[in-house]
Amino acid sequence: MSRINLIRRQSNLTKKSYYHSTSISLKPKISVAIVGSGPSACYTAKYLSSTLKQQSKKGLLTGTNIDDLERVDIDIMEKLPIPFGLVRMGVAPDHPEVKNVENDFAQLFAPSDSEKEENIESSIEFFGNVGVGTDVSVEELRSLYDVVVLAYGCESDRKLGIPGEDLEGVYSAREFVSWYNGHPDYVHMGEKFQKVLHDPRNSSVVVVGQGNVALDCARILAKGRDGLNDTDIAKHALEVIGDGVKTTTVLGRRGHVQGAFTIKELRELTKLGDTDFIVEMSELEAGNTEATQAELDGKGARPKIRIDKLLRDAAEKSGSASSKKEKQVKLRFLLNPTEFLAKNSDHTRLGQVRCERTKLEGEPGHQRAVGTGGFEDITADMALVSIGYKGVPLPGMDESNFDFKRGVVKNTHGKVHGVENTFVSGWLKRGPSGIIGTNIVDAKDTVSSIIKDLQNVPEDEIEGRYGLQTLLAKKKVQYVDWDGFLKIDKEEKSKTRLRTDSQPREKFTNIDDMLKCL
Amino acid sequence: MQAIRTKIRPVAAKFRLNPVRHHGGPKISADAPTVQFTFVNPHPSQGKSAADEKLTVTARIGETLLQTAHRHDVDLEGACEGVCACSTCHLIFDEDVFDELEEASEDEEDMLDMAFALTATSRLGCQVKVTEEMEGMEVRLPAATRNFYVDGHIPQPH
Ligand SMILES: Cc1cc2nc3c(=O)[nH]c(=O)nc-3n(C[C@H](O)[C@H](O)[C@H](O)COP(=O)(O)OP(=O)(O)OC[C@H]3O[C@@H](n4cnc5c(N)ncnc54)[C@H](O)[C@@H]3O)c2cc1C
Ligand code: FES
Repeated sequence: MSRINLIRRQSNLTKKSYYHSTSISLKPKISVAIVGSGPSACYTAKYLSSTLKQQSKKGLLTGTNIDDLERVDIDIMEKLPIPFGLVRMGVAPDHPEVKNVENDFAQLFAPSDSEKEENIESSIEFFGNVGVGTDVSVEELRSLYDVVVLAYGCESDRKLGIPGEDLEGVYSAREFVSWYNGHPDYVHMGEKFQKVLHDPRNSSVVVVGQGNVALDCARILAKGRDGLNDTDIAKHALEVIGDGVKTTTVLGRRGHVQGAFTIKELRELTKLGDTDFIVEMSELEAGNTEATQAELDGKGARPKIRIDKLLRDAAEKSGSASSKKEKQVKLRFLLNPTEFLAKNSDHTRLGQVRCERTKLEGEPGHQRAVGTGGFEDITADMALVSIGYKGVPLPGMDESNFDFKRGVVKNTHGKVHGVENTFVSGWLKRGPSGIIGTNIVDAKDTVSSIIKDLQNVPEDEIEGRYGLQTLLAKKKVQYVDWDGFLKIDKEEKSKTRLRTDSQPREKFTNIDDMLKCL
Repeated sequence: MQAIRTKIRPVAAKFRLNPVRHHGGPKISADAPTVQFTFVNPHPSQGKSAADEKLTVTARIGETLLQTAHRHDVDLEGACEGVCACSTCHLIFDEDVFDELEEASEDEEDMLDMAFALTATSRLGCQVKVTEEMEGMEVRLPAATRNFYVDGHIPQPH
């Protein structure tokens, strides 16, 4: 069985009775490695450190005391030279206020004077430009650290699995988002987007899927340069999107009450100055089954009720509107894409998206979209598939600890199945859902499991941070520490790089350029 | 093996990566009139034993409850720094207090829809300002974690 627990350090593992003992001696120093530096990594580090401090004050941990614990070192490994994951590479450039959370995360790495006398010392370090699975292996981390937490998010996509998905012009929303946010691994996509969107004002885009990522894509496509100039959107994206795309259609298999989007993002679409937001009342009605009614009456239905109202208002408005603005975003429901069709003039390129009209069947909360046999072809120069990010396994993982279908690490409350002292947090643990705040509850859950397991940590000395530094030096991996990142950060904000005074930063989109700042 | 000493950075003022673009609440001076009220469950990450914990604080009239919480080390998150863009500052009021609060804006209602463990008397701590009427009230932080390391409950796999 090739698990990632190849290296076990069980030599000293003393079996201690857990719930009955009143005093357990932990090692004086615990070293933790976290893979990834997005919200889940940062919140896991934050709560692990703060919970240990609070619990040690009270002697409350597991009903035992942890007076012996003197120091916790947490090392955060990130494959990019810069931290914060999707806060930087996902969250839309026109949502700068959402990125304020970076200030909170930055506190972790740069302790401020509010730090008081603590019973436990803790230090959190950033190791940027260190890919786990490429530069160092999980096995190596497991031999160097007491605890390893996987928080490396979702780096792949769920696919529709329909004919034509490989046509030129069909891409994943994740690729598009990563590209407009300047992710170094996706710069090369620009050429493809440029080719299919060479004349944005006469182009149509279809976005398949109805979550917030799909709405982000539609809004960015519609806004264009005027709406995005003052943001940190990558320069290369503005060049391609130009003044915005003429028609963007966001479609989903089910009805508007079953959508995964939230109202804030929907409302933004109703407020785009030069873009009409179009919703068909007939489609809202078609999804208004008895079961849908029950969903709107059920417990916790408040967000759905408010979305229903917003969309009905929008549908009434688009029905009566005489205003024909230059651009439009259409939100369509009960349409299931069955095939991507090529252009008549070029058989390698997308021309239309064929959709089967659906109807809803099933119990409230479990309604499915069932084909009706009626079809509609929607013109599209580009299609973005936005039906979910998906996690990928690291080398050495197999069915025992990775759910290949869902793209998540198999776990119970964050404890990875079958692998000692290894945990998981965030999107890689629960799948790609929820907002940044959702990772707080999720991280706390994982932290509880880590703390519960701390007594199982073998007592032998391990090398921790020092060992990692030695290993990286040996492998000639140039890692970027927190001060290094601050240099990159400063350079990105330097006036000479910015197109306007209010642009927060112009991101580096190339790793070598980032490393040159050091 | 020797414990590794990490370099201690010079102590700086509160570190800011990004400039504050929006104001996360008003600046209310320390000599402003105050009221006293109580946060219930001020440290949610400690689990059940802490859920009934209470912390009575002195709040400046006019500041936001998020600001009050942060001055008193209450573990209320404020991921977006008080600009109504994250819903992590979610607080739960008693009904009689809730009814007297100034109505939530549409933006706040929209963010509340995303809040974890939303109740009928939930509000965002960064959008509610301290008033005289809050004297003596109790306001609760939502419970955020299961807690087996205190009560010995062993979680079942999903
Ligand atoms: C397009 C988009 C827009 C969003 N907008 C919002 C929003 O407006 N508001 C909101 O609240 N939430 C938003 N979210 C959700 C939010 O971003 C996620 O909940 C959150 O980022 C998940 O955190 P995570 O740490 O699990 O994963 P991530 O944020 O993806 O972090 C994973 C990190 O691991 C790194 N990594 C990957 N592989 C390796 C490896 N092998 N070795 C080392 N490091 C590795 C990655 O580079 C990345 O930095 C958005 C999500 C997306 C996709
Ligand atoms: S702090 Fe973000 S919504 Fe209140």
